[in-house]
Amino acid sequence: MTAAGAAPGSLQELAGRPGRATVLSALGRRCLIGLSVAFLAALLLAPLAVVFASAFHSGVQKYLQTFADPDTQAAIRLTLLTALVVVPVNTVFGLAAAWAIAKFEFRGKTLLVTLIDLPVAISPVISGMLFVLLFGMRGWFGAWLAANGVSIIFATPGIMIATLFVTSPYVARELIPLMQQLGDDEEEAAITLGAGAWMTFFRVTLPKIRWGLLYGVILCNARAMGEFGAVSVVSGHIRGLTNTMPLAIEALYNDYDFTGAFAVASLLTLLALATLALKALVERTGDRQP
Amino acid sequence: MSITLDQLTKRYQGVPVVNDVSLEIGDGEFFVLLGPSGSGKSTLLRAIAGLSGLDHGRIALHGRDVTHVSARRRGVGLVFQNYALFRHMTVGENIEFALRVRRVRAAQRRRRRQELLRLVALEGMDERLPAQLSGGQQQRVAVARALAHEPQVLLLDEPFGALDAKIREGLRRTIREVQRELGITTILVTHDQEEAFAMGDRIGVMNCGRLLESGTPQDLYTRPTTRFVATFLGAANLILARQGSDGPRWGARPAVHGPGACGAREREVVAVVRPEEIEIARSSETLACSNFLGRGVVEEVLFTGALERARIRLDEQPDAPILAHANGDGAVLIETTRPQFEQRAFAISRGQSVTIGVRRAHVLPTPLSSFTICAPNSSAAERLAGNSLLLDLSSRMKTRIRKHLEPMLGASTPSRDSTAALPGTAVIGARAGVASDAKWLLEHGVEEILILPEHAPAPQRVLIHWTDESARSATLAASASVLRHLAAEAIYIDVLPEQTSTAERSFGIRALLDARSEARAAHGLEIRTELRFGVAAQALEQRLSESPGHMLIVGVASTSQLTSELAALLAMARWPVLLVHRERGAPAHSRSAA
Repeated sequence: MTAAGAAPGSLQELAGRPGRATVLSALGRRCLIGLSVAFLAALLLAPLAVVFASAFHSGVQKYLQTFADPDTQAAIRLTLLTALVVVPVNTVFGLAAAWAIAKFEFRGKTLLVTLIDLPVAISPVISGMLFVLLFGMRGWFGAWLAANGVSIIFATPGIMIATLFVTSPYVARELIPLMQQLGDDEEEAAITLGAGAWMTFFRVTLPKIRWGLLYGVILCNARAMGEFGAVSVVSGHIRGLTNTMPLAIEALYNDYDFTGAFAVASLLTLLALATLALKALVERTGDRQP
Repeated sequence: MSITLDQLTKRYQGVPVVNDVSLEIGDGEFFVLLGPSGSGKSTLLRAIAGLSGLDHGRIALHGRDVTHVSARRRGVGLVFQNYALFRHMTVGENIEFALRVRRVRAAQRRRRRQELLRLVALEGMDERLPAQLSGGQQQRVAVARALAHEPQVLLLDEPFGALDAKIREGLRRTIREVQRELGITTILVTHDQEEAFAMGDRIGVMNCGRLLESGTPQDLYTRPTTRFVATFLGAANLILARQGSDGPRWGARPAVHGPGACGAREREVVAVVRPEEIEIARSSETLACSNFLGRGVVEEVLFTGALERARIRLDEQPDAPILAHANGDGAVLIETTRPQFEQRAFAISRGQSVTIGVRRAHVLPTPLSSFTICAPNSSAAERLAGNSLLLDLSSRMKTRIRKHLEPMLGASTPSRDSTAALPGTAVIGARAGVASDAKWLLEHGVEEILILPEHAPAPQRVLIHWTDESARSATLAASASVLRHLAAEAIYIDVLPEQTSTAERSFGIRALLDARSEARAAHGLEIRTELRFGVAAQALEQRLSESPGHMLIVGVASTSQLTSELAALLAMARWPVLLVHRERGAPAHSRSAA
């Protein structure tokens, strides 16, 4: 056998042994899984453990004391209030936008799809700056707002607007591909059966997309409660007034109140974990029920 | 009439996808809309259901005009190809949906639901979710749901498309039984001709947005009037025959002796021969039927169970019959099918030389049989052979393009030799002297001439005009033949002189209406009409120039008109023009089926 013929020959031999490929792939699978788990442990689980360990470092008494503080309570209330306002508004917006994009052909549709992604694409800090430039004292509408006694920047409305902006894509992004995939045969069937627009929407469309919608709402809520960058720029960090939970954590940390900071952080983490659990539940239920 | 459609037109980006469709469907009738994908049949069905709007035309259901009534108030039941069941509702809830919308009481709803489930043979399935049912069961639920509110009309949009053959057959029978039991007028859309035959009381065949023909399955199969229907409904051999005073002839021999073909001149026609009407024998002496078609060699034999399918290549002989659907030098294969007993009587195998006879042939009434390019030199002929409109027409008409070099084209001295008339429609290129070219051809016995400019967009509107009433029938027949193969709208233009009195004007309007009704009655062609004033050629030119994408079909009664009135219009060479010539007083060609 010549040297030139040897290489293809051995390749053929390799390809001819099925067992070897299987062993290799099993090894590769274990390596990949191991790597992923190690990565997750280092980057996610360890910090998570640190958060709870630090929170309870000075004892449960000190932990609970943090939540007795009126400023912290105000921050929790503000965060919940923001989520309560922002999530429903963005749900309605997301539904409307997804409906328009999935069901109609119109000019500027591509532009609208791109614009919906914009809040995710740009840095949250810049999003916050945009609103300061718009509504701040030296902004476009600042003078008019001040003259009419409306405060937006460094007040609750500003926080809500910034959060609204940052979390606006989540519901729409979740629904657009879903609605495009499901088509509108069911809606057309409902119409030929005599159903009106509202009935078709509430009895046919909404149940059809409910799992996708819920998933989008959960993601939107998670981001609304955890948003830091944009809110930080517009809030002004006034304790007890315009601090949300993420801002309160930063403030406590800067005051060297580590236990307090981690206590609030642990609550925010718990909220996030609860959201994730809910999401997993929704995914499983959604998979089982078409 | 249960369903009346009047000149329905729906355009999509300027192109008509449903083109002037008029149709009447009787009470309790099962009507099948058959056509290839993209023929506009589903769009038409959706328009009847009210799910898509119309650009033109009226729809009436049981005598009530519903053109502007919304889909939810039309009272139709619609069944979709992919079922479109409400996936989060149970079977029972799905069926009750229409009743719930109408606020029917629970007890009554339950009664109706039971009744419908019995009708579609799904009793006891009330609590299942659609995902737990098979495709066939889901479609049964969809049918039951569509019938719940007792609609006047049931519309089925390819309801068996997603099902396999066995289930399809069972469901077909169920739907037909339900339809008979309820006596509900039904339209079924399908692309499957077997399904159309199995289910329809009547079938309407659509292509390019037009409803080409409608009739009982038997009529459409045995006596189609268009080549599309002839080839789409079952297999067909299209053979170019010559029709003289003694009936159609294949090649050079006389063939089927049919009742009275009495045209003065022999002309080329298209004959439809079904594969099962072909007889195969060892020699012409052993042929049971008297109609010898030719000799050939068996190219392929396929055993398919009940029938044997064979393809036979015809021998190349000067008097061999010419198949319409084989372009250039391509294979000339005759398709045949034979039942078992014929196979036993005379077994054939590949490579065997056989004699072919025809038991029955049907001559299509289309005046456009094939195209013959007529050019003074071969380079001009090649240019014409590459013309996109000509290629489109010939491929859609499944006919051949022949080339004929004629150095004498346009010469002023007509030669005496008029027996060598060109077969089919002559095709010439547009140029300055095109009017005299056309005149020369007409004087040499050609009756239809297609004049093609070098570059012209695909026609979206076809303008029809005749300079003399004697050319009317022939022009309409040719127009109908062209328009069946083009997605274009037809507009008939009548031109009256400028100073027409009111009395004469009403006469002109009557002529328009006559033209329209003849087009509809004789050719199933819906045309729109326009009345203009002035000199005919100028008025036509003005109308043609209004927007691009026009084609002109013009009927003339005397050859002198070409070089006088129409010369300037023809010399423009910006639009494709089809010239139809019928001598005044010449007997109309009888085109009755053989």
